[in-house]
Amino acid sequence: MKKSGEVVIIGGGISGLSTAYNLARLGCKDVVLLEKESLYSGATGRCGAGVRQQFGLEINCRLAKGACEILENLNELLDYERDIELKQGGYLWLLTTDEEVKLYKKNVQLQNNLGIESRLITVEEALEIVPYLNPEGIKACTFHQKDGHVNPFQVSQAYAEAAKRLGVEINTFTEVTDIKVKNNHIVEVITDKGKIATNKVLNAAGAFAKHIGEMAGVKLPLKPERHQILATEPVEPLLGPMVISTDLACLQEPQGSFIMSYSDPDEPEGVNISSSWRFMEEMAKRVCTVLPILSNIKVVRQWAGNYTMTPDAAPILGSLPGVEGFYFAAGFSGHGFMLGPMTGVLMAEHILGKETTISIDKLDIGRFERGELMREPAVS
Amino acid sequence: MHIKEHPILAFKRGRRVEFFFDGKKMWGYEGEPIAAALHANGVRVLRRSIKLNRPRGFYCAIGNCSSCLMKVNGEPNVRVCVERLEEGMVVGTQMAKGDLSRAKANPISSSGGGSGIRKTDIAVIGGGPAGLSAAISANQMGAKVTLLDRNSRIGGQLIKQTHMFFGSEKQYAFIRGIDIADILADKLDKEMTDVMLNATVLGYYREDGVLGVEENNRFTKIKPERIIVATGASEKVLAFPNNDLPGIYGAGAAQTLMNEHGVVPGNNVLMVGAGNIGLIVSYQLMQAGINVKAIIEAASKIGGYWVHASKVRRLGVPIYTSYTVKKADGRESLERVTIWQLDKNWQPLKGTEIDLNVDVMCIAVGLSPLAELLWQAGCQMKYIPELGGHTPLRGEDMQTTVKGIYVAGDVAGVEEASSAMVEGSLAGLCAAKSLGYDNGRFKELREEAINELMNLRSGPVSEGMRKGLEQLI
Repeated sequence: MKKSGEVVIIGGGISGLSTAYNLARLGCKDVVLLEKESLYSGATGRCGAGVRQQFGLEINCRLAKGACEILENLNELLDYERDIELKQGGYLWLLTTDEEVKLYKKNVQLQNNLGIESRLITVEEALEIVPYLNPEGIKACTFHQKDGHVNPFQVSQAYAEAAKRLGVEINTFTEVTDIKVKNNHIVEVITDKGKIATNKVLNAAGAFAKHIGEMAGVKLPLKPERHQILATEPVEPLLGPMVISTDLACLQEPQGSFIMSYSDPDEPEGVNISSSWRFMEEMAKRVCTVLPILSNIKVVRQWAGNYTMTPDAAPILGSLPGVEGFYFAAGFSGHGFMLGPMTGVLMAEHILGKETTISIDKLDIGRFERGELMREPAVS
Repeated sequence: MHIKEHPILAFKRGRRVEFFFDGKKMWGYEGEPIAAALHANGVRVLRRSIKLNRPRGFYCAIGNCSSCLMKVNGEPNVRVCVERLEEGMVVGTQMAKGDLSRAKANPISSSGGGSGIRKTDIAVIGGGPAGLSAAISANQMGAKVTLLDRNSRIGGQLIKQTHMFFGSEKQYAFIRGIDIADILADKLDKEMTDVMLNATVLGYYREDGVLGVEENNRFTKIKPERIIVATGASEKVLAFPNNDLPGIYGAGAAQTLMNEHGVVPGNNVLMVGAGNIGLIVSYQLMQAGINVKAIIEAASKIGGYWVHASKVRRLGVPIYTSYTVKKADGRESLERVTIWQLDKNWQPLKGTEIDLNVDVMCIAVGLSPLAELLWQAGCQMKYIPELGGHTPLRGEDMQTTVKGIYVAGDVAGVEEASSAMVEGSLAGLCAAKSLGYDNGRFKELREEAINELMNLRSGPVSEGMRKGLEQLI
C-alpha cells in the first residue's frame, strides 16, 4: 500500500470506484481507494439493480439522466467487454390515489422539461405494457422507457478495472480507523494496514459514511436503514419494466430472475444486513396481489442492504467548509448505485477544483443548517 | 425398464398410471419420482441447458443438484427426481429457462403466509441415520423434537443401502441399511417427536432464531430452543469434457434409482472411484443384473475395504488403479468413455487411452457436506479435504460455534452411517441436556457414545478422517 496519495477515497462501492476512475481520467493518477471488505460488497452489491430518471427533484432528474447516458455507453467508455446487462424496459409507476396522480403529473411535467420522455398513462395502456398486472385499485401510471435494470457487479467491476489501468491503487480488506486533521486540514488517513499521508479524502463509505465523518470531527445527518430484498428462480421473459409503487418494487433481470423489495416505514435506524421471515411473507403477499402470476415462482435467495437516508432524501455531494480537503458523496437515500456513474464525474471535477458538469451547490451539507432542504418526493 | 426380480428387494409400487411426456403417452407407477418413470420408459434427456442447448439428465437423484428441472403440468423448474408421479401428469422437456406464463395462478400462496410460529424444544433437520438417532436420544432424555425432512419418508440414504453394515452390534452390524431405517423409525417416540415430511428448511433467521420451512408449498415457521443440523452430504462431480451428458450419474443416484425405485440405470456401467461407495454400488448393480465393465480409481490403490473389492473382483470386474476419465462421448446421452492412466505425479499418460462402450458412468469420488444452513447461521467453518470440504468447528458435544446449533452425520464431516448414528445420539443427548432434560443416564450414555466414536474411527482406513477431525474439535 502506498504511503501517500493525492486523493484517498474511502469506500469501494459505485460512488468511490467511479470517482476514482474519473479522477484518473482527468489526470489525477495518484489515487488510493480503501475498502474494508471486498469491492462493491455494501449497498452497491446489495441493491435492486434498478436505474431510473423519474424523479421529482430537478437535481435528481439531472443526475439520473447523466448517469443513464453514461451507462448506455459504458462498455465503450471504460473499454469493458463483458455484458453489463442494461435492460431499458422502463419503470411503470403505479398510482393508487388522486393525490399521487396529481403529484406524479407534476413530476412528469418537470421530467419532460428536462428532456426525460416520461408520460402519464391510463391503466389500459399499462396493461398493454404489463399484461400480467392486476389493475385493481390503480388510478393511473407513469412510464419511462429508458429506465430499467443494469447489473451492479458488472458496472462496478468495469469502473474498478478501468481505474486500475489508469494507475489507481485499490486496497480491499483495508479498514480506515482514523483520519488526522491539523489546522483544519486533512493530513493523514490511518488504516489497519498502515498510514497514508494525504490532503484530500473522499468519504464514499455508504452506510458507514457517518462513522467516517466522525473520525474527522464532522457530524453528518445520515441515517442508515435496512432494506430487504429477494430473488427468484430464472424464467423466460414475462415482465418488461420495473413495476413500482409505494407498496413494492419488482423487476425481472435479463437472465430471468425476479428481484423485489418494499420499504418498511417501521424499520429502525442502524446498519443491519440480516434477513427476516416477516419480509419474505409480506413480500410474497404484496407481489402476488400486484402480479398474481408470480404466485407460482420459487424464491431462491433473500438478503438485505442499507439505504443511507438524509433528512430530505437527496444526496450530500461536495466539501465541508470547516475541514479543508474533506469531501462527501453520501446519503443517496436508496439511489447511490443508479446515480453512481454521474456522482463519479461530478466529484472528480469538484475535487480537482473544476467547474462541475451539473451544479452540485444545492446538494452541499450546509443546506440542512440553512434550512434549504430539497425534499425528493419520488422516493420509494 | 423396471427391475422385475431382485435377490434382496421386493419393490412396493403404486398402481400403474398413464402420463404424458412431450405429448407421448407413457406408463409408470403412481408415487415413483417422475425421473424414475421416465428412465424406465427410456427417457434420459430431461431438459436443455440454458445457453448452449445441451442435453441434460439428472445427476444426484435426491433433490440436490437441480440438473433435472422439467415442466410439470405447466409449472417450470420442477425437480423431477423427487416430484412424485400422478395419473395424467403432463411432463415436458424444459427448453431454456422454463416458461411461467402457462402455469396456473396458485391461490394458496397468493393469500400470503401469515401462519403462526410453531415452538419446539429441539428441531432436528434431516431424517437420515444421524437425525433419527438424534431425535431418539433427545426423546429419551425427555425433550420434545420436531424432525424435519424434505422427502416424503424418513430414513435418508439408508433407504437404498442393501448391504450389511460393519462395526459393533450397537450400530446394527450385519443388518442391511434398508432395515436399519425401519428399526430407527420404530424407535422414534411418536408422542415426543413431531415428524414433518415434505418439509424443506429454507433458512435460519439469525435475528430471532426462527427456521423458515417450505412444507407442501406453504411457508411455515418453527422456533426451536435448539437445532440439530443433520442434512447429510451431496455427491461430488468430476471435471472432464462432456461430463454433463445424461447417463453420467452420481454412484448414489444409480443406487437410488435401482434400489429405491426399482429402475435399471442402464446396460453397461463404468464406475469411477474404488472407495467403499464405488465398490458397493458396483456389486449392487450386478445384483440387479447390470453389467459393470470396469471400475477405475485415480489413486494407485483401492480406497475401500478389501472385502468389498474382493466381491467384485470374484465376479470378474477389472479394477484399473491410477486411471481417470479423459472424456465422455455421446449424441444425446452417454455412449462411450475414454479413460487414461496417470503417472506418479497424477499427470495423464498419452498413449494409454482405453475406449469403453458404456451407457452409464457412475461417479463415486466422494461427498461434500450440505452445510448451507450452517453458513447462514454464521457457524465457523474450516476446509478439511479429508472430511469432504467445508466442515463446521464444534465441541465434543457436537455444538457448533453458534450456541444452540448442533451438528451430526455427514454434514459434520463425511464419514459413514455408523458414525453418523452415534454422532446423532451424542448431539441429541447434549442438546436435550443443555435444556435441562436428563433421565438420569446422561453421563453414562454420553461416555458410551464418545467411546463408540473412538472405536469406529480406530481402523487404519480412518487415519485421514481422524486427522481431519482433530482440526475441528
